[in-house]
Amino acid sequence: MRTYVIRQLAQLVVVVVGISMLSFAILHVLGDPVLLLLPQNAGKEEFERYHKLLGLDKSMPVQYWKFASQAIQGDFGKSWYSDTPAFRLVLERMPPTIYLTSCGLVVALIIALPLGFIAALRRHSVVDNACTAVAVAGQAMPIFWLGIMLIIIFAVRLKLLPASGYGTWQHFLMPSFTLGAFLAPLTMRLVRSGVIEIMNTDYIRTARAKGFAERQVVGKHAFRNACIPVITVLGLQFGQLLGGAIVTETVFAWPGVATLTVESIRNQDFPVVQCAVILLALIIVSVNFLVDMLVGFIDPRIRVAA
Amino acid sequence: MRRTIVLGSALLVLVALTTAAPANAQTKDDTIVYAIQSDVPNWDPPNSVLRESIILGYHVFDHLAARDLKTGKVGPSLATSWRALDDTTWEVKLRQGVRFHDGTPFTAKDVKASFDRVLDPEKKLTARGNHAKIKSVEVVDDHTVRFKTDGPYPVFVERLTALVMQSEKQIKDKGHEYMQENPVGTGPYKLVRWNKKQEHLLVRNDDYWGPKPAFKYVRIRIIPEQATQIAELISGGVDIIKAVPPDQMDVIDKSGQARTATSPILRTAMIQLDQAGRAGKNPFQDKRVRLAANLAPDIDSIIKHVLNGLGDRVATTVNPMAFGFDPTLKPYKQDQAAAKKLLAEAGYPNGFEVGFLQGPPVVEPAVNQTSEAISSDLAKVGIRTKKRYLGEVGPLTNLVRDNKAEPMFEWSWGYYSIFDADAIFYDVMTCNQPYSYYCNKQFDDLVIQGRSTLDAKKRQEIYAKAQKLAYDDAAYLFKWGLRGVWGISNRVNYEAPRDEVDRMFLVTPRKN
Repeated sequence: MRTYVIRQLAQLVVVVVGISMLSFAILHVLGDPVLLLLPQNAGKEEFERYHKLLGLDKSMPVQYWKFASQAIQGDFGKSWYSDTPAFRLVLERMPPTIYLTSCGLVVALIIALPLGFIAALRRHSVVDNACTAVAVAGQAMPIFWLGIMLIIIFAVRLKLLPASGYGTWQHFLMPSFTLGAFLAPLTMRLVRSGVIEIMNTDYIRTARAKGFAERQVVGKHAFRNACIPVITVLGLQFGQLLGGAIVTETVFAWPGVATLTVESIRNQDFPVVQCAVILLALIIVSVNFLVDMLVGFIDPRIRVAA
Repeated sequence: MRRTIVLGSALLVLVALTTAAPANAQTKDDTIVYAIQSDVPNWDPPNSVLRESIILGYHVFDHLAARDLKTGKVGPSLATSWRALDDTTWEVKLRQGVRFHDGTPFTAKDVKASFDRVLDPEKKLTARGNHAKIKSVEVVDDHTVRFKTDGPYPVFVERLTALVMQSEKQIKDKGHEYMQENPVGTGPYKLVRWNKKQEHLLVRNDDYWGPKPAFKYVRIRIIPEQATQIAELISGGVDIIKAVPPDQMDVIDKSGQARTATSPILRTAMIQLDQAGRAGKNPFQDKRVRLAANLAPDIDSIIKHVLNGLGDRVATTVNPMAFGFDPTLKPYKQDQAAAKKLLAEAGYPNGFEVGFLQGPPVVEPAVNQTSEAISSDLAKVGIRTKKRYLGEVGPLTNLVRDNKAEPMFEWSWGYYSIFDADAIFYDVMTCNQPYSYYCNKQFDDLVIQGRSTLDAKKRQEIYAKAQKLAYDDAAYLFKWGLRGVWGISNRVNYEAPRDEVDRMFLVTPRKN
């Protein structure tokens, strides 16, 4: 167990350093950030003065070294746009995104778990076919379109919910559902195939033979085992979920870190992008780490193997 | 397992709700809601290049001069009058009895401190270049300031509308860092709170020296997605939005909740033709070819049918609202036979293929469609364009600056809100400017003459000559002045502003 944790942590360091280098390099080939910072009619001296101020006159390795040695101490530099520390900017935007992705995940599970189970237990029935159809439709539906449709129905037509924004519980409903609907189809398919596989295993037959009620067989024996692939895949899908959050946040004017990152990339605000990318990478890697732990906790066989 | 998930989610929702913003004290009736697409980087307008910063700045700060939206002329604001003492000295009289939001009186010291701050090369304020022609600012008495300029500076008064007056006390005592998020101005509203990327709440400054705004509160919401902005407008969540795409006007007008309004804006669109050969040798270095390019498309019908009339045809690059615009110069009329003849004379009897660099419709509405229409007209006379598309404005601007554009490329210019021909001629049409693919000594001489005198009549004549020259030389493929579209809730009265600076202090409730 200990070597496993150490190996995971070492991996984490390699991933974060690699990602920081990669994003640094990509940002630098995007073009001159000063061009976007200064008015279009700024003269040559202004450009040179700005390059110096931001340290862009140095070579790339020198710039990276300076950045990395400060970042290690938690100093990601100041945003070139707003003169505030990049770390603070990113941290401030973190909670809305965490709430949104968590709620989206919950919505996805609320939809996917029961439907996946019912579809699996009543294989090839009308219910199963309907669930499959809904899943295919859901997977094919662009998240952006769904968000706009919800706004048109619930805000513009019915006037039940605020169209966008952040603050009250009403503001959470449409974005959470949008993001949840994005994740639910895949999860449901996974639950279904997982349960079908498990229902054919020997221990389920044994459990039935022992005379357990069907409810107990499914709820106790099948459920726990079906959870394992679902949790693993959800962990792997976490990056996808953040990707979905970018679109959801944009549509619903949600003040989260996903839109901040996209906007900063557009502005070529290097310090903020670096900080956000590294923190998000850290989160994704940690989520995967936690998922590994959780699966090990649910399934002792994996713990032993590790 | 299921129980943990349910419990966990309940907890999360609870956390989310308890950390959410507190209920607003204001009511819908005394609040006007305005939406912008992206948040400002700070509350320090000279330290930002975004239009949103200019707009927000107008609410909390005042400028020495401001544009009268009715006449289009620059009139008094914190300054009551100004005059040129000689070619390089301006004297400005200041309004008396004005106070900053913190109670300190506004005097000449504050004017000097504001200009000194933006001009200091050690500070990295992005607006510095806009005011670099000012050499020094001198306090004569409490309400008189003298500006020394580096050579004659005819757009001095225009530029007075471009710098907010900040308080000397704040600059000295609190400093740059503090000023990024804590604006102290003399303007009609005060900042209550700023939830970044979410919203700004402003409250009326009841001690304001000017007319009192009708609404006690202004909420400025940040809504990145245009479709969402329109949905908010129609569902009553927002009262005023700007930059509505032309194809969405119907949706708003038919909603019964809101309406659209348009106004000409200070931005001219064109297609630059590489006369200077900056991207390499190309057919447009021949005047006859440029002329043919101007004669080929039916610009008027493109404005009418593709742009829904949202454009004002111009003969050159000068916008009808800019000082120096010559209304007697008539734009080119479509004449494809003449265009073909010119191409044959230039040695292209069978036409030629040429690269055309295009970008996204960020500043210019429906630019993809209009460029498509122009290209097909050009093809009819033999100018076959090869489209090269870039999805982002930044990299496109980079290519243009680095001599890597195509012989034809889409371009538009917003004059930096200086309503003067010089603001486009100098930056977009003189030799060796980063964004000018036109170079003509004779033209340059006229532009230099125009900025070397303060005599308005003489300048008008010089710019008429320059426009004639650019027109005869078919410097670029000339298009139109743009129009902006605003969406306005039916519960308020508001007029679309021609300088693109929305002023919520001019909005009034609509009586039913």
